[in-house]
Amino acid sequence: MYRGREGQWAYFLHRITGVALVLYLMLHVFDISLVMYGPDGPFNAFLMFYHQWPFRIGLVLVIAAVVYHALNGLRIILLDFTTWGIRYQRVMWYTVLGVTTVIGVPVLVKILPEIFGGA
Amino acid sequence: MAARPRNLQEARDRSRNNAELAWWVFMRVSGLFLVFLVFAHVFVNNIAINVATVDYNYVATRLAKPSVKVFDTFLLGLAMLHGVNGLRVVIGDNIRRPGLRFWVQVVLIVVSVGIFVAGVMTLWAFSYREMGDAIRDLTSGH
Ligand code: HEM
Repeated sequence: MYRGREGQWAYFLHRITGVALVLYLMLHVFDISLVMYGPDGPFNAFLMFYHQWPFRIGLVLVIAAVVYHALNGLRIILLDFTTWGIRYQRVMWYTVLGVTTVIGVPVLVKILPEIFGGA
Repeated sequence: MAARPRNLQEARDRSRNNAELAWWVFMRVSGLFLVFLVFAHVFVNNIAINVATVDYNYVATRLAKPSVKVFDTFLLGLAMLHGVNGLRVVIGDNIRRPGLRFWVQVVLIVVSVGIFVAGVMTLWAFSYREMGDAIRDLTSGH
């Protein structure tokens, strides 16, 4: 465990997002694999089900999880492979949160109206 | 939660065997590739377009392209290995009863291999044509 409270939060969030992402990945590969049944197969019905708004909000959360996990993953790599990484771990964590927000806000601005604007 | 080794030396000293050390390195190397693969995938399919427009035709049209097949194969392979190995470690840290832990990991591997095979088949075992609404209407007779 890294020193300090931020490190533990970073670690905990990394783990939760990682687990959420694999579970999502499995469901996603499964539902895309339904295209194997062709245009008259179950694929379109399945997707229509997932096009309902609660699932689309879920997808926004998946994107947020990916962005956080990817950026914090880069932070972990810097901690592990550089001599200065540990010294700056706290600053880097706030940077990860900052960049996640900077990427996340435009994504929300693009996607939320698609979900709630009836588009 | 078991503390994570903090650098290559610590990982080397701490790992019970070479396999654990190799996985430790793999998580970091695959992570670097996944940043590029996953961000590109999410951008193309979720941000550049409205996901609500995704349907059979969209997916079949994409999977008909060799470039998409190759890209998605790397994405599928690396994400499954990285994610499933990560989940294996999390299970190891949180399920303490050895018997239960073993069987949960067996189920994880079996399910993962099944999903991976379905993914590879989806990418390579079919030739998709751009079968639009016209063809669908023809075949279903309305
Ligand atoms: C996008 C770029 C990504 C980067 C840079 C990245 C990086 C990392 C790193 C460095 C670790 C720590 C490994 C260790 O402690 O030995 C990790 C763990 C993990 N990752 Fe990723 N990852 C990425 C994408 C993904 C994706 C797409 C998934 C889901 C399929 C995923 C699932 C996991 C899981 C389940 C763990 C284990 C969590 C833990 O041990 O606490 N990651 N990742």
